[in-house]
Amino acid sequence: MTTRQPNALPATNEDTSGPYFPIAFADPALEDLTCVHPGVVGEASGTRIILRGRVLDRHGDLANGALLEFWQTNAKGIYRTPATEGDPAIDPWFHGYGRQRTATGAYEFRTIMPGAAPGRAPNITITVFSDGINRIVTQMFFADADGNDTDPVLKAAGADAPRLLARHDGRTAKGEEVYVFDIVMAGPDETPFFDDLES
Amino acid sequence: MTKQGRILGIGPTDNTSDQRTPRQPLRLIPEGVRDSFVPVVPATYRTGPHEWDLTRTAPGRPRAQGTAIEVTGTLRSESGRPVSHALIEIWNANTHGRYRHVEDHSGLQLDENFYGMGRVLTDAAGRYRFWTISPGAYLARPDIGRWRPKHIHLSVSGGSARLITQMYFPDEPNNASDPMAILMGDAFARNIGTPRDVNGADVDEAYDFDIVVGGRNATYFE
Ligand SMILES: [Fe+3]
Repeated sequence: MTTRQPNALPATNEDTSGPYFPIAFADPALEDLTCVHPGVVGEASGTRIILRGRVLDRHGDLANGALLEFWQTNAKGIYRTPATEGDPAIDPWFHGYGRQRTATGAYEFRTIMPGAAPGRAPNITITVFSDGINRIVTQMFFADADGNDTDPVLKAAGADAPRLLARHDGRTAKGEEVYVFDIVMAGPDETPFFDDLES
Repeated sequence: MTKQGRILGIGPTDNTSDQRTPRQPLRLIPEGVRDSFVPVVPATYRTGPHEWDLTRTAPGRPRAQGTAIEVTGTLRSESGRPVSHALIEIWNANTHGRYRHVEDHSGLQLDENFYGMGRVLTDAAGRYRFWTISPGAYLARPDIGRWRPKHIHLSVSGGSARLITQMYFPDEPNNASDPMAILMGDAFARNIGTPRDVNGADVDEAYDFDIVVGGRNATYFE
């Protein structure tokens, strides 16, 4: 945890992305992490997965226009950060950061199964930006994975931990494992969202 | 004192905010796993050489309608360190308050010389600069007559710095009633651009808008 400096500059306020995040800013390289860039030879190592689901509002309606960001380890459980850049377990064809805007509120993200970082169960951090909110952040886990019972984030979610589990939904003809994960922004089935310490 | 997570505010008179704001307090990130919540955005950004100038759709094309403005500033972390080579994505409505976005169904007038979206990178000292057209305010809630004040959307990503924000304009009549501005309270002042001299640039107005990424948020880290 970082300590706030007493003389820290006041941060610019986050603000809503609004409904019109430009579709023109979409980057195909960030929408499918299994290859480094469309048309370039260079595949991420690991089991290919498709993560699909819906972003839902308080009434169970699709949250149109949401911008989703994904962050995960590579197949060996290593996050690609400046601190790990020299690590031999880094996959040169995988950076772990994905982004996509969903017009309808339904999403489908192609990536590889993240490995378990030390002390953790495999997971994907998901950030949601949309009209009406600034940013909400959660971590999604795999219902059938080892390590879920001891993962600190799932433990912190307590009785709501099942809401962080993606359900396995078979395999495509191409051999991709399919997982389903709905993000409920508000309401009775609300997804647990996480934040840094506040008080 | 027991540490508790924030309860997010709901923007008054904002239907979408009511529909999409979580009602439960945010869960505190457990000690020791904070880093796992902090994406590092790979520096593979591409920007076109003319994307800094939103006042024309391409070099040599006519100027878009309205007031041309220059916006400059420095991107820093809370400790004051410049964030260099970060991507700033910019989008704003045209002078009539219309976005050139397929989902903007307002029916307001488009301008054939205005896209209203562009991208720039910060330089080694964290500085950025772009030109755009001063956006029109638009009626966000026709049923109650509530307007969105003039604003420019800015999305910042570079390394572990991540922020989506808006720059507002001083002394605008709709600033005080804006739901997101109300949630910011007095801190709203930080999101208002500071008018300055154009210093000979080929624009009508100029603003400084320094951006500081940080705050008590899961996605900020240094
Ligand atoms: Fe807007």
